Amino acid sequence: MLVASATTLPLLLAASGCRSSDAFDGPDPLAGRPSPGHDVVVLQAAISAEEALISLYVTATATAAAGSASAAGPELLDSLLAQHRQHLARLRGALVLPPGASPGTTASPGTTASPGATASPGATASPGATASPGATASAGGGAGGQGAGRGVVARLRTAERASAAAGLRRLATVDPALAQLFASIAACDATHVAALAALA
Amino acid sequence: MTAISAVSALQAALAAENAAVYGYGVAGAYLAGSKQAAAIQDWTDHSEARDTLSAMITRLRAAPVAAAAFYALPFAVHDSRTARALAAYLEDGVTRAYLGVVAVDDQRLRTFGALAMQAPARRAAYWRGSTQPFPGLVSAP
Repeated sequence: MLVASATTLPLLLAASGCRSSDAFDGPDPLAGRPSPGHDVVVLQAAISAEEALISLYVTATATAAAGSASAAGPELLDSLLAQHRQHLARLRGALVLPPGASPGTTASPGTTASPGATASPGATASPGATASPGATASAGGGAGGQGAGRGVVARLRTAERASAAAGLRRLATVDPALAQLFASIAACDATHVAALAALA
Repeated sequence: MTAISAVSALQAALAAENAAVYGYGVAGAYLAGSKQAAAIQDWTDHSEARDTLSAMITRLRAAPVAAAAFYALPFAVHDSRTARALAAYLEDGVTRAYLGVVAVDDQRLRTFGALAMQAPARRAAYWRGSTQPFPGLVSAP
């Protein structure tokens, strides 16, 4: 049986043509899970923010369906919500984590939980993870009827505007492909702001 | 991934703006009322963006690409419907070109590209009558 000790290992490596630095470069595989890279942290923050926005829309569409003054309102909100779900799917698809690692988020796309309440502590501490003003407010706000409808739309527009701004902040420091995804989603959010203006 | 040259990305955006300036000249002729006013405003916005890009490219010590005398239209334009479709098509092209700027290494240019693509994305949604989930991206999986 061959036993390598601290003194014999360099000799063995030299005999095999390897330098000791070849064997010991890189992270120690026994030192535990490495901390996530910058892009992963930023992506997790984007996922959390998208989940919060979806939660806001889910509540808003329920409110709109219950009695909106605008017949086109529920249909438009459903359409915008569907696009946010597409954003979330694409963002989640870009996130590759090692087996067993937590994605850092807990909400499902269709969750009806209170907006902004689903982000993990790790995600909210990440760059650009601060919840948008609209995402932290109750979407139902106030009494029912037309006034509440306008309030919901105003909050959605505020949240969309904040989401677009956050996307711009995130894209500066990440991989170009991820930056383009953030930019595209931010542009979509900007179109949502304009679309919601029709309901305001 | 090979880094995208700032000049080539800006030149592509300028080429798209040049095409939009030409295309709105065609589309505007088939529009009336508020739609024509919108087309005129969009033509003005694209002309200003073209000048901005030309200045940026010149500052990078490159010669801005010149506009072509004629552009082949993607489909025949003969009424208001096809004119609106052309406007949406042009805006999609400009949006896509600015998204190319987002891939460069320079952070300020990235942010410029990301901001600049929002206006054509909004205009495309206006002319199309609906929003798109991923403006500028060719396809979603």
